[in-house]
Amino acid sequence: MANVSGSVYGLTILSPIIDDPNADISHDGAIRQYLANLPNGHTSPFAKVSSTHICRLVVMDDVIYVGTPANEEHLNSKYLVFESNFDGELEPYLARMANEIPEVVESVWGHCVGYPGLRDVSAFVAYMKKCQITTTFYFADVNDHTVQSTLRALKVQASVADFIGKHQGESPAEIQAAFRAFYERVSNMSEQEPGHHDPQGHQSIKLNRSIAAQHG
Amino acid sequence: MKRIVSEEVALTNINGKTYAMTAITPMKPWKTPILKIFFFFLALIKPLQARLVGLSFIHFARWVVIKRHAFPRLADSQPEENLSYDYLLFFSNFNGTWNQYIDAFADVLADGLNLVWRWSEKFPMSRPVTAFKRYISLVQFDTDYYYTAYPRATTNDVKAAHRVCAAVEDLGRNCNGMSPAEFSAAYLHFLMKVQKDLGSTGVGPVGT
Amino acid sequence: MARLNAADIQGFAMRGYTFPVARFVLMEIANGEGGRALLLRILDQVTTAERWDVKPDSTLNLAFTYAGLVRLGLPDAALLSFPVEFVQGMKARAPILEDSGNSAPERWDPVWRDSQVHVWVGIYGESPAVLARRCTILRQFLEETGGARILYEQDASALPDTNGGYGTKEHFGYTDGFGNPDFDGAERKPQPGQGKLTDGGKWVPLATGEFLLGYPDEAGEIPVAPVPHLLAKNGTFMVYRKLHQNVQTFRDYLEANSKIYAGGKEKLASKFIGRWRDGTPVELSPDKEDQAITTDKRRSVNFTFGNDMAGTRCPIGAHIRRTNPRDAFGFNGALVNRRRVTRRGLPYGDFVPEGQPVSDTAEHGIIFIALNASLFRQFEFVQQQWVEYGNDAHQGNDKDMLIGNHGGQGKFMIQGTEDAANPPFICGGLPNFVELRGGAYFFVPSMTALRMMAAGTVDPR
Repeated sequence: MANVSGSVYGLTILSPIIDDPNADISHDGAIRQYLANLPNGHTSPFAKVSSTHICRLVVMDDVIYVGTPANEEHLNSKYLVFESNFDGELEPYLARMANEIPEVVESVWGHCVGYPGLRDVSAFVAYMKKCQITTTFYFADVNDHTVQSTLRALKVQASVADFIGKHQGESPAEIQAAFRAFYERVSNMSEQEPGHHDPQGHQSIKLNRSIAAQHG
Repeated sequence: MKRIVSEEVALTNINGKTYAMTAITPMKPWKTPILKIFFFFLALIKPLQARLVGLSFIHFARWVVIKRHAFPRLADSQPEENLSYDYLLFFSNFNGTWNQYIDAFADVLADGLNLVWRWSEKFPMSRPVTAFKRYISLVQFDTDYYYTAYPRATTNDVKAAHRVCAAVEDLGRNCNGMSPAEFSAAYLHFLMKVQKDLGSTGVGPVGT
Repeated sequence: MARLNAADIQGFAMRGYTFPVARFVLMEIANGEGGRALLLRILDQVTTAERWDVKPDSTLNLAFTYAGLVRLGLPDAALLSFPVEFVQGMKARAPILEDSGNSAPERWDPVWRDSQVHVWVGIYGESPAVLARRCTILRQFLEETGGARILYEQDASALPDTNGGYGTKEHFGYTDGFGNPDFDGAERKPQPGQGKLTDGGKWVPLATGEFLLGYPDEAGEIPVAPVPHLLAKNGTFMVYRKLHQNVQTFRDYLEANSKIYAGGKEKLASKFIGRWRDGTPVELSPDKEDQAITTDKRRSVNFTFGNDMAGTRCPIGAHIRRTNPRDAFGFNGALVNRRRVTRRGLPYGDFVPEGQPVSDTAEHGIIFIALNASLFRQFEFVQQQWVEYGNDAHQGNDKDMLIGNHGGQGKFMIQGTEDAANPPFICGGLPNFVELRGGAYFFVPSMTALRMMAAGTVDPR
């Protein structure tokens, strides 16, 4: 099935955005503004839908003119593109979105044509499926581990490196005793929270203003 | 609600070590079936994917063909689309910088890339790389929101972590009945199994 | 594959000079007119790449920062056509290069931290007396034209060897100077292993355009270069970095870890970089030094990592494997061919032999000089992605053992085998063995470009 690779599902959704020339702020503008201010990292709402490996939201305002002799043409609607890679099946995932991040769903899809609201979760799921486009070719490098399994493995990996360094040079009996205790701890290790503990997930860099500094 | 502090860069295409590339290209409708046949074989014949797997810097990637009449229409009030082209949407979640990613593909996967994108209008072929980068810049969308559950790990890190876990399990399950000498030998084998997979995770290099 | 016009290319862009001492004179240009007058005066002194019938006793070359080109009065259109990383300069690129902590610009030498260096005059020679003579001539020109003033003179010198002459080692005791890339038209005897690999496993030269502007590069095109064409052609870009070496820290660290590393001290040192300290490549001789290999130019750089993917001979994170992975990433090295740089550096400061007390604060280190056609794609990439990071080598965030900016943390994994003398071993708590004290990006113009700049006739039309 083209949408699936191993245990991972590749969801592609294109939701037409409401076009209302009389609105104070356009619907696509409102979506962009909401997303620009949405927190990320472990405080991201998407961390609550914890089967999500990676996902993105893109406001696609038009197709692109690639230059003559190609035709110039335009979309008559703007579309909200949602690409998600998650564990498990589609309908439970969509239901989780409705139940766990209703404020995000309302603030984003509330600006889209035909959005039925969240009072009836199955109506919401049906709405999203109407917007779904089948993936033609899906590549997933790691497609046989859940998010939780991967987060736990990353934690274990770091602990193992620590352990090896710490006990380097000790006697076999000492290492064996230490390893037994270590393995006990590893077996009881839970996974980290998704999104990790960076507030933004990456290192912000100061915008480079050296040219202004040189000439200003 | 988090305000974006003006001194910081809200690089929305990047989260941790992962970059979100989104691109859309037009295709003459008669070429679409050719592309679909190529994808069919690519999915079926694993060795064709070998070079892609060998590059090992993509978490998830997909191509989505949207035929010109297939853009979702949810209400009569929504105008119909009136397009002459089918559209090929490309999504990639990869590790490394934008330049590094495209350079790598142009250097080692040029033929494969050409087979996918030659059906798109005005595609310049993936070598020489400068024209290719110009084309991608033209057809690329910036991401409005990008989430990853493990921003501090690349796909290499993820795979290494799972191998390390498996090795720990192996040793842990078997070590109890061993004498110290036996354990010493088993531990050495364990080290040899994991010694390539212990790279630390953390904040990635600046996205340039 | 054109024959290169050696008369137009500055000498050290084509070949290393193999002189033992050097002085790098850093200057600030006073104003456009004076600067051009000085340039006109100094042109005859500049050494080209033409072959010598009789080797001179010294050479002289010139390079300019972006600020220097601005001060010289190049037209806006030409200035705007320079690559952005060169325009911003190395100091502004510190976040990309991970020049932070002890290597941050705030901690650089005053000349790099506070002044704006415009010109680099590189003088190489047989002896300090010869350097002094060249500098006297330079000072005369400065007096005559009033075109610039000297900000700083950086001396550099090969370290003494055990016979009282000049050797090829640096302060940590490693033999340096291997592995400069071989490119089309370089007109020196190529050594197998310096170029790129063909599908058949043969070594061939790299494309000229990787190291000189105006020629086809490995991507099969003439890369974007500054305009006009004559300004860029036969020129190149230079990275200059004054790398202070914490010799005491290095010796202490090596000593301490040698006590628990079963292979012994010299083997441990060889694992850090991938060569024994005498220069023997670990890949060819993992268990002992072997001068027969090291002194044989057909063998000393002639190796690949394809048969050592486990890293048990040369560790995956070792310095030379990081900075030139050869075929370690598969694809016959295709991912590496556009990431090569030419190195021209020399040590600076007094050498303290092993066993004698040495301090971290003494002035000694290496003047690292690299030449490449694209700072961004070559030097910066290697520095950012392969030295200060390890994902391409599947080593996560781990940094280059020797030159990485560790800050006291981080580790280096030595892959091992069941051989008791080659055990798996983690070097942890890594300190900074090397710290940056300053530097900049320079443009090394061709002779034609120098004449145009001196005459003020650069015209991008």
